[in-house]
Amino acid sequence: MNLNEEQIERYSRHILLKDVGVEGQMKLLNAKVLIIGAGGLGAPAAMYLAAAGVGTIGIADKDKVDITNLQRQIIHFTKDIDVEKVSSAKEKMNQINPDVEVKTYNEFLMANNIREIIRGYDFVIDGTDSFASKFLINDACVLEGIPFSHGGILRFDGQTMTVKPNDTACYRCVFIKPPPANVVPTCSQAGVLGAIAGMLGTIQAAEALKFITGVGEPLYNKLLSFDAKSMRFREIKFKKNDKCGVCSENAHITELKDEEQAACDLTT
Amino acid sequence: MKSYDLPKNLIDEVKEFEYKIKEFQAGAINPVQFKGIRVPHGIYEQREPMTHMMRIRCAGGIALPRQLKKTAELAEKYGSGIVHITTRQEMQIHNVKIQDIVTIYRELISVGLSSRGGGGNTIRNIVASHDSGVNPKEAFDIGPHTVALTSKMIAKENSFNLPRKFKISFSNGGEIDSRAMITDLGFLAKIKDGQKGFKVFCAGGMGASSALGVVLFDFIEEDKVYCVTEALKLMFNAYGNRRQKHKSRIRFLYKSLGEEKFKQYFNEEYQKLLQNGYPVLELEEIENKDNKNNSLKEEDISAPEFELWKNRYVKEQKQEGLFSVELPLFLGDITAKDAVKLAEFLENFGENSLRFSIDQNMHLRNIPEAYLGNVFRLLPEIKTISDKPSLTGKMIACTGADTCKLGLCLPRGVTPEIQRALFESGLDLDKLDVRIHVSGCANSCGCHHSADLGFKGKIMRKDKELLPAYVVLAGAVISENESRFAEELTEVASKDMPSFVVDVLKIYSEKKARFNSFYEYAQNEGREDIIEAAKKYSNIPSYEEDASYYTDWTAKEKFTVLKGQKAECSASLYDMIDFDKEIIDNSLEKLESVEGQEERNNLLKKILFSASRMLLVTKGLEASDELSVYGLFLKNFIGPNLVSGEFADMIKKAQNAEIGDYKAFEDKIIKLADSVKKLYESMDDSLQFKTEESPEEPSSDENSAEKFKDLRGVKCPMNFVKAKIELTPMKSGDKLALLLDDGEPIENVPGSIESEGHAILKKEKQAEHWFLLVKKG
Ligand code: HEM
Ligand code: SF4
Ligand SMILES: [Zn+2]
Repeated sequence: MNLNEEQIERYSRHILLKDVGVEGQMKLLNAKVLIIGAGGLGAPAAMYLAAAGVGTIGIADKDKVDITNLQRQIIHFTKDIDVEKVSSAKEKMNQINPDVEVKTYNEFLMANNIREIIRGYDFVIDGTDSFASKFLINDACVLEGIPFSHGGILRFDGQTMTVKPNDTACYRCVFIKPPPANVVPTCSQAGVLGAIAGMLGTIQAAEALKFITGVGEPLYNKLLSFDAKSMRFREIKFKKNDKCGVCSENAHITELKDEEQAACDLTT
Repeated sequence: MKSYDLPKNLIDEVKEFEYKIKEFQAGAINPVQFKGIRVPHGIYEQREPMTHMMRIRCAGGIALPRQLKKTAELAEKYGSGIVHITTRQEMQIHNVKIQDIVTIYRELISVGLSSRGGGGNTIRNIVASHDSGVNPKEAFDIGPHTVALTSKMIAKENSFNLPRKFKISFSNGGEIDSRAMITDLGFLAKIKDGQKGFKVFCAGGMGASSALGVVLFDFIEEDKVYCVTEALKLMFNAYGNRRQKHKSRIRFLYKSLGEEKFKQYFNEEYQKLLQNGYPVLELEEIENKDNKNNSLKEEDISAPEFELWKNRYVKEQKQEGLFSVELPLFLGDITAKDAVKLAEFLENFGENSLRFSIDQNMHLRNIPEAYLGNVFRLLPEIKTISDKPSLTGKMIACTGADTCKLGLCLPRGVTPEIQRALFESGLDLDKLDVRIHVSGCANSCGCHHSADLGFKGKIMRKDKELLPAYVVLAGAVISENESRFAEELTEVASKDMPSFVVDVLKIYSEKKARFNSFYEYAQNEGREDIIEAAKKYSNIPSYEEDASYYTDWTAKEKFTVLKGQKAECSASLYDMIDFDKEIIDNSLEKLESVEGQEERNNLLKKILFSASRMLLVTKGLEASDELSVYGLFLKNFIGPNLVSGEFADMIKKAQNAEIGDYKAFEDKIIKLADSVKKLYESMDDSLQFKTEESPEEPSSDENSAEKFKDLRGVKCPMNFVKAKIELTPMKSGDKLALLLDDGEPIENVPGSIESEGHAILKKEKQAEHWFLLVKKG
C-alpha cells in the first residue's frame, strides 16, 4: 500500500466507492492515458483524468491557444492566449493534481508518428476535430491493440463510442471511410454550443476511468448520441463489420496513411 | 544575481488570496478559517485585531540591495516604518492593514520576494551561515544550495500543507553557532575525496521539547540535497502526527517511531526518488568579488573610533582585499528610512553585498578595503548599534507577549534594560564574548536553548499573585561533534534580570582567563556560580511591598496570563499546570520518607489540592479561593466523567472543609493524583482529553485482531475511507479492530463496512467511543 495521507484524503471519494476502492485508485495511479487534442473534448477529459489521479497523462496537440477557443476549451484561460495548448493544459492539470505526470506532445499526430506515440498507453481519448484524424486514430489504435474512446460534436449534437480493438466494433466498422470533403461542414457553417463539448469530453473521461478500474460496461458496440436541444440520448447498437477495412479478417489496412482533408476547427 | 525563484502559480495564489480577504472582510468566512489561509502566506495577526505582520522569505539571509529597498519603502508606506530582521534571516513588515496586504504582496513579487510559507505548516525560510562564500575557514559556499533548494521546495504545492512546520538549515562548516545540528533537517558542508557534499542531521529542534539532531547521513554528494529533503518531506507527510499539534514536529515522529523505523521509512521514500531518477539540484554559483560599479570617492579615515569599530565589526574575507562588515541592529530593527539609505549605498557595491544573520544583524560583503571608511561615514546616518560592543549586537530577543499570543514575558522590554545595566556596569564588554538569548516562553523563538546565557519566560507564583520571571539557562555548545543545549539552572524575576546578568558577567570576567569560552566556564564552576548568583534574588517582595515586580518591563498593566485567550496561550497553560504537577511529584516523593503524622497529613492535603487544581486552567477556570477549587473540579472533571466518580465523595468533603485527617484518604488521594496526571498525558493541543488510554492491543482474546486503528476524531466519511485503507491489504478472514466516535460515525461506518461484504463481529460502547471488530470478507 503506498497511498500517502494526502492521497488518501484527495482520493477519498473514489476510495469510498465500493467498486473502486483502494485497488481501483491504485490502478488509476498506475494507468497511462493519452488524450489526442487539447480542445473542447480534451479539455474536460484532461481535467477529470488529472483530478482522478490517472498516473500518467499524455496530451497531444500542435495548436496554440486562440481567443476563439475559450468559449468551450475550459482548460485554457485568457492569460494563455498564444501559449501552446499542451503547455497550458499541463499547467492546469498539475495545479489540479501534482501527483500526475503529464507528458506533452506538441505535434500533429500523423501516419508516420502516431503509432509510436500511442504505444505504451493503456487507453486513448480521441478529442480531435477532423474525420481524417478520427480514422487515423481508429486505425492506429486497432493496429496497436489499444482501447480508445471516440467522440465528436457539432452544433447541438454529440456522439461517442468506446472501442476495444478486435473484440468490439471499431469506428471504421460503422463509418467505413471519411465522407467526401464537400459534405463536411466548414468552420463558418458550423458552430457548437460550448457546454456540449464539456458533456461529451466528460463522458469520454468517465469511459476511460471505467475501463481502467474495470467498473461497469463501456460503450462497446454502441454509439451514444444526444441532441442537446431536446436533451434526448439515444443508443444505436451495432456489431463488428466483417468487411471492416482495419479490424476484420479481410482487412486491407496494415499500414497507416494520412487522409487528405483540411482540419476544421470545430471541436478543438 | 537572483535570490530564489518565485513559484510559478504565485500570481494566481495572490489573486485567490485577495479574493479570500474580500470574503473575510465581507464576513463570508470567519476569522479562524481566514487564519488558516493567511498564516501559510506568512501573514500573522498581531495582538491588535486587523493589523498584521508579513514575514518575507530571504533564502539563507540573502537579500539584494533593491529588495531591501523595496521592502523598506513598503514598510514606510504601509507598515510601522520599521524593517525587522528575524532569527530565521527573514525580513518582516509590521502593523500592516488588511486592505494593504495584497498591494504589498504584489510589490514584493516585483522584486522577486514572497512571504509564502513564512508561517503555518510549511517549509519555512531555509537558513544558512551568513558568512558563506566569504569565510576563509568554510568548507565551501552553501549559498547556491540554499537558493536552489528554496526554489525547488516552494515550487511544490505539497510543501505548504505539512503536518507541522519544517525547518531546514545549512552550515558552511566555518562558524560555531550553526542551526544545522538542531533543526528538522540540517546540512553541514563537508569535502570528501575532493567532492563537495554534506553531513546530514535531522529531527532536531528547539521549542518546548528540544532535541539535538541525529545523523541521517555521514556524507551525501551535493546534488542529493533535494532528494533527501523531498524524501523526508514525503515521509513526514505520510507519517506525521497531524492531530496533536504540539507533538508533531519531525523530532516527535523520530521519537515515536524509533531510530530504526524512522530511517527505514525515510529510506523507502529516498530510494523511490533515486530510482525514479529524481532531479538533482541545479546550482548557480554566487560570485564574491569586487563588484564596485560606481565612482564612489574613497574615504580615508584615521581615528581611534574607526580602528575600534574595525576590530569589533569588520572581517577579512577569503577573497583578498575584500571585507565583510557586520551592522549590529537593536533586536533586529532598522527604520525603513535608514534601510533605504543603506540599500542605496550598497547598490554601489553590486547585487551580492548583503546578508542577514540569525542573530538579527546585517552583514555587508564584498567591500574593498579602501571603502571601509565610506561605510564608517555612513554609520552616523543610519541608526545601528555599531558604536557598541558586539556583545549587545549579538543579543537575541523574541517578539514576546507584545505581539505573540503565546508569550508570557516581554523579552523586548527586558533586553534594553539588560544592555543599559551592562553599559553602566563598567565591565569591559569588548572582552566578553557571551551570547545572551531571551525567549518569552518555552517555545524558544529567542533561541534560549542555544545561548551561552539564555532566559525563557515563565510564570512565578508568590502567595496568590503571579509575576513575570525567567528560567536561567547556560552553557550551550552546538558543533558537529559535540552538541549540548543550554542547561536550566535557576530562575529570576523579570525585574531582577538586568542586575542578575551584570552579576554573572562580573564573576565570569574575573575568572575568564582560566577558560577558553563561556561554554567551558558554564560547564565547570559557572554552573554553581550562576545558581549562587540567583540566590540573591530569590526573595521576591510581596505585591504590597513592591508592586513593580508584578508588572513586566514596558508592560502597561499588571501581569496576568488568562486574558480570555484560552487555547492560544497554551504555552503559558503548561507552566501553570507544571506548577501543580511539581508540587504533586515533590510531595509524593517526600511521602516515601516522611514519618511524622502532621507532616504526612500536610503533604496529602497539598497533593489533593494540587491534583484538583492542576487541570482547571485547561477549561479557562481560575478559582477565587481554596475551597472553590474543589467545587470547580467536581463540576468540570468528575461530573463529565473525565475523572472517575469514585473520588466524588472525598472531593465533596474537601469542598466543605470536612476532612481533618487526610491520612484516612491516603490511598484515594494518591490514586486521584495518578488519574489526573494520566488525564493530562492524554490531553492534545486543543486541550481535549482522551478519557481512556488507547488500547493499542485490545486486551481480551475474543477482541484480538490482526490490525488495530484508532479512528476517533476522524470525521465521516474519512473514517470509513481509513477503515477501507486498513482492510484492503488484509487477508480474507483477518480481523480489524477499530475505535469510532459516538454519533454519526458509529451510525454510519458499520453499515458501510457490511455493505462491502465484511462482517461486524462486535460493536461495543467504551466510555465516550465505540469499539468495533471487523472480519474481512
Ligand atoms: C508571533 C508569534 C510566534 C509564535 C506563536 C511562535 C510559536 C512558536 C512555537 C510554538 C515554537 C515551537 C515549535 C515546535 O516545537 O513546534 C516556536 C519555535 C521557534 N520559533 Fe516561533 N513563534 C512566533 C514568532 C517567531 C518569530 C518572529 C521568530 C523569528 C523568525 C520565531 C522563530 C522561532 C524559532 C527560531 C524557533 C525554535 C527553533 C526551531 O525549532 O527552529 N518565532 N515558535
Ligand atoms: S518564544 Fe514564546 S513568546 Fe517568544 S515569540 Fe516564541 S512563542 Fe512567542
Ligand atoms: Zn472495424
